Amino acid sequence: MNIFGPKELMEDVILAGRCTGCGACVDICPYFGSHMGKTAMLFPCTIARGRCFASCPRAEVDLDLLSEKTFGAPYAEVPVGSHRKIFVSRSGARIGNANYQAGGTVSALLSFVLEKGIIDAAVLVDRQEGLPRPRRITEPQEVLSCASSSFAAVPVISELNRAVRDGYRRIGTVATPCQAVAAALIRINPLNEDEFINPLSFIIGLFCTWALDLRSMTALFSGRGLDLRSVIRCDVPPPPAEKFEIVTGGGKHDIPLQEVRDLTSPACAWCPDMTSEFADVSVGMLEGSAGKNILIIRTPFGEEIAEKAREERYIVLDEIPPEQLRNLERAAAAKKRRALLKLKKEGLLNTAGKGKRACFRLRPEILEKLIG
Amino acid sequence: MSLLLKNKEGDKRLLMGNEAIARGAIEAGLAVATGYPGTPSSEIIENLSRISRQAGIYVEWSVNEKVAAEAAAAASFAGLRSLCVMKQNGVNVASDFLLHLAESGTRGGMVLVPCDDPGALSSVNEGDARFFARMLEVPLLEPGDFQEAKDMTRWAFALSEEIRNFVVLRSVTRLSHASGMVSLGKIPRGRTQAQFRHAGALLDPESGPMISCLPGAPQFTHRRQQDKIRTAREIFETSPFNYYEGPRRPEVLIVASSICSLYSREAIAMLGKAGKKCGLLKMGTTWPLPEKFLQKHLSSAEKIVFVEEVLPFLEENVLMLAGRWTRGKGPKSYYGKNSGTLPSYGEMNPDLIAEALGKVLAVRRRPVRPESFAAKAGAFADNAAPRRELTFCPGCPHRASFWSIHSALKLDGREGFVCGDIGCYTLAAFPTGFNSLRTVHSMGSGAGLAGGFGRLRAFGLRQPILAVCGDSTFFHAAVPALINAVHHQADLTMVILDNRGTAMTGFQPHPGLPVNAMQESAPPVEIENICRGIGVETEIRDPFDLKGTRDALLSFLEKKEGARVLILRQACSLSPEKKKKNSFKVRVDENACRGERCGCNRLCTRIFRCPGLYWDNRKQVARIDDVVCAGCGVCASICPAGAILKEDAV
Repeated sequence: MNIFGPKELMEDVILAGRCTGCGACVDICPYFGSHMGKTAMLFPCTIARGRCFASCPRAEVDLDLLSEKTFGAPYAEVPVGSHRKIFVSRSGARIGNANYQAGGTVSALLSFVLEKGIIDAAVLVDRQEGLPRPRRITEPQEVLSCASSSFAAVPVISELNRAVRDGYRRIGTVATPCQAVAAALIRINPLNEDEFINPLSFIIGLFCTWALDLRSMTALFSGRGLDLRSVIRCDVPPPPAEKFEIVTGGGKHDIPLQEVRDLTSPACAWCPDMTSEFADVSVGMLEGSAGKNILIIRTPFGEEIAEKAREERYIVLDEIPPEQLRNLERAAAAKKRRALLKLKKEGLLNTAGKGKRACFRLRPEILEKLIG
Repeated sequence: MSLLLKNKEGDKRLLMGNEAIARGAIEAGLAVATGYPGTPSSEIIENLSRISRQAGIYVEWSVNEKVAAEAAAAASFAGLRSLCVMKQNGVNVASDFLLHLAESGTRGGMVLVPCDDPGALSSVNEGDARFFARMLEVPLLEPGDFQEAKDMTRWAFALSEEIRNFVVLRSVTRLSHASGMVSLGKIPRGRTQAQFRHAGALLDPESGPMISCLPGAPQFTHRRQQDKIRTAREIFETSPFNYYEGPRRPEVLIVASSICSLYSREAIAMLGKAGKKCGLLKMGTTWPLPEKFLQKHLSSAEKIVFVEEVLPFLEENVLMLAGRWTRGKGPKSYYGKNSGTLPSYGEMNPDLIAEALGKVLAVRRRPVRPESFAAKAGAFADNAAPRRELTFCPGCPHRASFWSIHSALKLDGREGFVCGDIGCYTLAAFPTGFNSLRTVHSMGSGAGLAGGFGRLRAFGLRQPILAVCGDSTFFHAAVPALINAVHHQADLTMVILDNRGTAMTGFQPHPGLPVNAMQESAPPVEIENICRGIGVETEIRDPFDLKGTRDALLSFLEKKEGARVLILRQACSLSPEKKKKNSFKVRVDENACRGERCGCNRLCTRIFRCPGLYWDNRKQVARIDDVVCAGCGVCASICPAGAILKEDAV
C-alpha cells in the first residue's frame, strides 16, 4: 500500500471533505482530535509515513490487498462483499428484550464474545446527554445500555486506539463500513511495525447508508424544540415510511427523511460500502420484518462465533428469503455504483502518476463490472 | 536607606533615569504619586512606593492611566505636589481627562511623566507622546541626560505652580533605563496641608471650583490657558536646559532633544575633523518653543539637522516658526525626517546621526540603516548567547492556556479566532503561543473587538469568537467592553488569564489583589464577582489542568449566544511567591520516549517548546534542563507516551 503522512491526510481527506469522522487517526498520537463528529488536526506534524494515513479508510485503501489479507482473496465483485453465508437472525433465548434496533443480533453477539472472554473490551457507540459518543465496555451487562443506532458520525476507532494504549489486546468493535475498513487496516499492520500485535479480535459491521455530523443533528433536534439530552433512540423505519423517528423521554417524533438526508455528511457520498464488507460479520435490518436482522458471515472466525452463539442460544438463525437477498444486493450494488462513479469522475480511483494519490485502488476489470 | 532619601546635598550618585526622576520629585516636595505600570516607566512609581512611608508620600498603582491622572489632579487641586507616570500609550487613555484638566488648570504643582518607547522594544507601538503637549496646550520638557532628568523634574513642579497648569516631562527608554552620575539636591522638610478651596468665585484660580470650560464661553478658561502657555514660552527663552555647544559659526547646526543630544555629541566625535564643523543646539523645553532663542542660534548656520525620536515634532514646530523668519534672514536648508535624511521610525543612534551629518557635510561614510545597529548587536550576541525566539518563560501558565485555547479552536473547527490584548500573553501571536492571537491593539481592545465581532451574526459571521486579557488589563480597560458585550448580546467567550499580578512589568499590584503599591493590605476586588455581577456565566479553571480547560472552552464555544467568561487562574512562574519553588521534580523516561517516531514526533520539544525541555540529538530523546525547568509539570500531561514523569518536589 502507498502510505504517506499527516500532511497528505489533511490534504486528501480532511480538507477535501472526505473524512468520515471514524476516528482512526485520533488518539494514536496527539496531533489529531475529534469533536462533534469532526476530525481536526491540532498541531502540525511532519512525519512522512504515519499510522494516521495508514489506517484511514479514505486514503490510499488498496481494496485488493486488504481483501487478500482479510479473506485470502482479492476484492470480490459481489455487491455485499466477500462472505461465506447470509442469514436472517435475531437474538435468542439467552438474551432478554432491550432497546434493540430490529432483531438484537449485534447485542447478542457482543454479549456472547464478552461472556466467553473472546474479547476483553468492546468499543461501540453510546449516548451521553443525548449525544452519541464512543464508549468502551468490558462487561456483558453494559452491552444492552448501548443497544441502539445513532445515525451519527462517531469516532469509534479513536476509542479503539485508546483501548490499545490502555493495554487491551483482544478488542471487539461494532463498526459502520468506514470504521470497519479502518479496523481492518489496523489489523493488517500496514506500517510493518516490529512490535505490532493485532489488537482486534472481532469486528461486527453495521449496514449504513449515511450518517449525520453531530452539529447538524443537534441543530435538527433543537430546531424542533427537542432536548437532545432526552433522546433515547433514533430509527429509520423501512420504506415507504420516508421518515426519521426520534424517541425521547417525552414520546415519539417524526421528521421527513429527506430533511434528514439533506444534512448527511458529504463524506458519505464517496462511500461504496453499504454492508461493512471488511468486518468478521455484518448486521443490518431485515426490511419488512420488525424484530429481525440480516446477518452476513464473512470470515471463518466470524462463522465460528456465529455457530457457537447459535448453539448456545444467543442468536437464532434462519434462511434468508431469496427476495430479501435480492433487495439487499440491489441496494448494496446501487450504493457501490453511485460512489464508484463519483470517485472515478473525480479521479480518486487507481490514480496514477508521481505525487498523485488515490482514495481507493482495485483491479480495473472489477471496477468496470461494479460500475457497468 | 534608599538613595532617593539620602539628604546630602552635592553627593554624586549613579542613578537610573527613572530613579533620577523620582529623586527630582522628592526634592520638589512631592506628596502624591500615581501611575499605571508600563515599560519603560514602571520604576518611577516602584521606587517611590518603596520609600512612601519614610518620605510621607502617598503612592498608588491606579486601575488605569486616566484614573491615575485624576487622582494626581485631585492632589493638585488640594494644593499638593503630585506626579503622574505612565508609558506613552497611557497618555492616550488619560488624554480625555487631561484635555479638560489643561483647561481648568492646576494648583499644587503637577507633573505628568510619559515614557516613550522608540523602537517599540517593549511595546506594540512607538507612539510619540510629545504631540499631546501641543494638542493639550501645556508645556513639554525633555531632559537630555540623567542630571537633567532629576533637575528638570524638580523644576517642572515650580513651573507648574507658576503657570497654574500641569507640565509634561517626557522620557524615553534609553533615558529611563540607562544610568548616569547625578549630583543630589536638597530634600525639603515639612508637609503641606491638603485643602480643596472651592467656595470662591467661578473663575478664581485660587479658590473657585475647578471646571474645565464654561459651555459656549471659551474666552474665559481657554484664553486663560493660552496665556499660561505664552508665559511658559517667555520662561523657556532663558532656560538653562536649552544651550548651544560648538563653533561660533558651524557649517551644520544640529537641533536635538532628549537622549538624542547624547547620540549627537557622540556622532560629532565619530566624524573627527568633519565633526568640528558641527554645532549642537540641545533643546530641553520643546513646547512651546522659545522663538527668540531658536532664531538667534539658527541664524548662525545655513544647514540645520534635526535629531529626535520618533516623529519630527521638534523639526516641524521649528519649521513652522522659520516660516515667519524668512524675510531678511534668507532661506536655510533643513534636514531631518521630512527630508528623508533620518528615519521617522525606530530608535536613533550615533551611527545613524553620523551618517546623516556625513551626507549633509558631503563627507563619504558607509550607509547605515536602523536595522544595521540591531544586526551588529545581534551578531555580537550570537557569539555569547544561544539563538532563541520570543518565548514564554518555563512554567508560564500562558503556554498551558494557549495550548488549550489553540486545541479547542482547532477541534471546534469553525475557524474561530482570538482577539488579543496587552501583556506577556501578547506573545501568543507567535509560535510560543501557537500563533493564537489574530488581533492585537491597545489595552482592553481584545474584549472590545470581540464584542464587535460578536454582533455580526446578522451578517452571517459564524466563527466562534474569543477574547483574552490579563487580570490587570481586565481592570484597566476590559470591564466596559465586557459590559457592552453583555448589554448588546454579543456572542463571545472571554478568557481572563489571571496570573495574579501585573506580571509583565514586574508584579505591580492591581485592584484584584489584597495589597496596594505601598505594600499595605487592601480589599481585593474579585474578577469573578464583577463578571457574575454583570450577568456573565463565569467559570474558573486552573490552566495547568489541560483537559478541564479545553473541555470548558469547547462547551462554551458550542453555546451560540451571549457572552461567557473563563478565568484561567495560576500565578506567574516568576512571581515572588512561586519563583524557585518548583511544585514537581520532572524527568524523562528515556526508554518510553517515542522521540521522532510516529505517535509523537517530538511534541514536547517541537511544538510545546517550554525552554525547560530540550532534545538530546545524540540519544534521540527529550530531556529536562533541570536548571531551567520551573517544575510546573504541564509537559507530563502532554507527553503521548507517558515518558515525562513528575514527582512532588521535596
